[in-house]
Amino acid sequence: MLDRVPAIAMKETRELLRDPIYLGLAFVLPMMMLLLFGFGMTLDVKHLPVAFVDHDDSPWSRDYRDRFVHSEYFDLVGVLGRRTEVDEWLRTGRARVIVDVPPGFGRDLARGRPTAVGVTVDGSFPSRAAVIVGYVSAINGLYNQQLLVDLAARRGFGASGLLPVQVNMSVWYNPTLESKNAVVPGLLVLILMMFPALLGALLIVREKESGTIFNLYASPTGRLEIILGKLLTYLAVAMLDYLAIFAMSRWIFEVRFTGSFLVLTAGAVLYAVCTIGVGLLISILTRSQLAAMFATFLVTLTPAFNYSGFITPVASMDPVGQFVAQLIPATHFMTVVRGSYLKGFGFGYYWPQLGALAAYTLAVYSLAWLFLRKRIG
Amino acid sequence: MRGRLLAMLLKEFRQLAADWPIVMIILFGFFGGVYLAGHSGAVDLKNYPVVVLDLSKSNESRELVSRLRPPNFKIVDVVHGDREVVASLDAARASLAVIIPPGFARDVQESRGRFQVISDGTQSQMAMLAAAYIAQIAGQYGIELLERRIGSSEDQLASLPQVDARIRVEFNPSINAAWFASLFELFNVITMTSLLLTAAALVREKEHGTLEQLLVSPLRPAELFAAKIIPTVIVVLLLSPVSLYAIVHGVHGTPLRGSPLLFYAVTVLFVFSIASLGLALAVIARNLPQAMMLMLLTLWPMMFLSGAMTPPESMAPWMRYLGLLSPLRYFIDLGFQVLFKGNGLMYVWQDILGILVLGSGLFAFAVWRFRRLL
Repeated sequence: MLDRVPAIAMKETRELLRDPIYLGLAFVLPMMMLLLFGFGMTLDVKHLPVAFVDHDDSPWSRDYRDRFVHSEYFDLVGVLGRRTEVDEWLRTGRARVIVDVPPGFGRDLARGRPTAVGVTVDGSFPSRAAVIVGYVSAINGLYNQQLLVDLAARRGFGASGLLPVQVNMSVWYNPTLESKNAVVPGLLVLILMMFPALLGALLIVREKESGTIFNLYASPTGRLEIILGKLLTYLAVAMLDYLAIFAMSRWIFEVRFTGSFLVLTAGAVLYAVCTIGVGLLISILTRSQLAAMFATFLVTLTPAFNYSGFITPVASMDPVGQFVAQLIPATHFMTVVRGSYLKGFGFGYYWPQLGALAAYTLAVYSLAWLFLRKRIG
Repeated sequence: MRGRLLAMLLKEFRQLAADWPIVMIILFGFFGGVYLAGHSGAVDLKNYPVVVLDLSKSNESRELVSRLRPPNFKIVDVVHGDREVVASLDAARASLAVIIPPGFARDVQESRGRFQVISDGTQSQMAMLAAAYIAQIAGQYGIELLERRIGSSEDQLASLPQVDARIRVEFNPSINAAWFASLFELFNVITMTSLLLTAAALVREKEHGTLEQLLVSPLRPAELFAAKIIPTVIVVLLLSPVSLYAIVHGVHGTPLRGSPLLFYAVTVLFVFSIASLGLALAVIARNLPQAMMLMLLTLWPMMFLSGAMTPPESMAPWMRYLGLLSPLRYFIDLGFQVLFKGNGLMYVWQDILGILVLGSGLFAFAVWRFRRLL
């Protein structure tokens, strides 16, 4: 019943090899995306422009300012005496945070009295604003600790220089907290989502546009044979991509890999079959290559980028976000990939994710099979 | 001349309407996509899942644990052994483990209290934020302990040298990520629609061989290009205000402070500019897959250098300069300045100039390449 599968696969392979554009789409662009985003996308926010309005201008206020200047997170862009000008800087983006030190700042602290500074943060880019709030609070907290430790020492309380409560922080899975360890494995998930789906999406609709689909309709080839034949070729493409990305992640980006290559590969095969299926389904449902392309961008890349846990953890999403996250295959594969790279467990650990991917795959191909019949019949 | 353009425009619209899946997809992008983008997760530390192992079981440890509270942290599990802590982190049920050793209470009294925090580093940015917050909680707790010791009476407490940092986040006080994410997605959908629709409209003529017919007709290249760009501009201008007011503002509650008129005027320019890029690529490409490759090759660097994924100040200088070649960079800067900050023309004229110059350059390039084709 499936004897025509190899023939279809042969035809697809030959078509692919003859077409430099498709070859580029299949191999060159994915590698470019990996290099571009892997090297260029830094999630570390540093060198934030900070401006000070110093009404006090005392050794105290200068000491406080130095705490910001000497951290790698802030770059001082100016110290001013007046407030009005600086509000303008926040509007134009010349400064992202403004620290307003009131008159009498040093006098209050010298007399052992509490004081306050006003900090205004540009909230137009929320992730940057969140990081700024975190940094400012941390720097201010350290300054306060120092003030109290000094005071305690002067009055003879406690051991000087020691703090009552300290944190021993250790980071697991990605001890250096390098964003490449989070970004590069994440890119494997995005690339294996996008390109197999894109290639799959063009497969049938291209035949529709050029009219060759009628050859298929008229031939005795069954639906399953058409789907499987096309799948085989592009699965091979996806696996070559996968191996190349894996090699680059290990030897160019030098990302830690602690898990089992076998588990990751099993996940990748399942995931690629699934994403090619998503593309095929789109291809069956659309009429033009344009629509197929556009749909692939919107239903594969954007959700995978936003909801798979690539940038924000699924746990911090609201219920709608978490629902979408569970609904897309990228989230499940992301768990397998991040885990395999950084946490390292065996098959037993990932069966819920692999099971979800299998179920998803089955659903996608059943739908593809159903809709393909409608068009032929 | 007007008759020719009108006839051509009618043809373009008819072709667009005949491809109903593409109409559905564009509608989904402008409404579904923008709606969903608002739910793609918080960027600050919200309900960060914590597992607690308290071996001290003292007032001191309980007080410390009670400080790990929403909105920043959420205790998802209180366990009794190391193995459970590891299991919780491995399964990513918790992203942070707080382990308080048996002698914590005594050590705190002797000013050398220590507790252990294990952080899941797979999401590096969140892990860094969590570390900053935990350090702050420990510091604050320590400060209060010192205060209690130094200042025994109430009025002495109020007279300790402390700096209160009163942080105010301008333009988005509660750091609501949905405001940014939904608006950014709208800008992305506008960009993708402008690029894809226009490029496809021209490449389609090539693929079907109807371009030769158009070439021998009295239609001039500029008219042909105008006929390809105008439908895109109309589609974007019809859909983006609905999406902006109904979804970005209506559903996600994003405040729109600036002048909508200014924003729309620039949106027209921007669509023209990106559509010109689409035309330039379509003139070079022979078929749609080829055009798509070129589009991806230009779209990605553009999105990256736009300043919305990595803040411009954190980029390497060469990236910042390269970003000046991307119309999207100006549009995003302008969009957020006008809509979020309420900035007027005098703040954003450079952005407008950038879009205009790049757009005209691309249009001229497309016409020039097209003429050479003839």
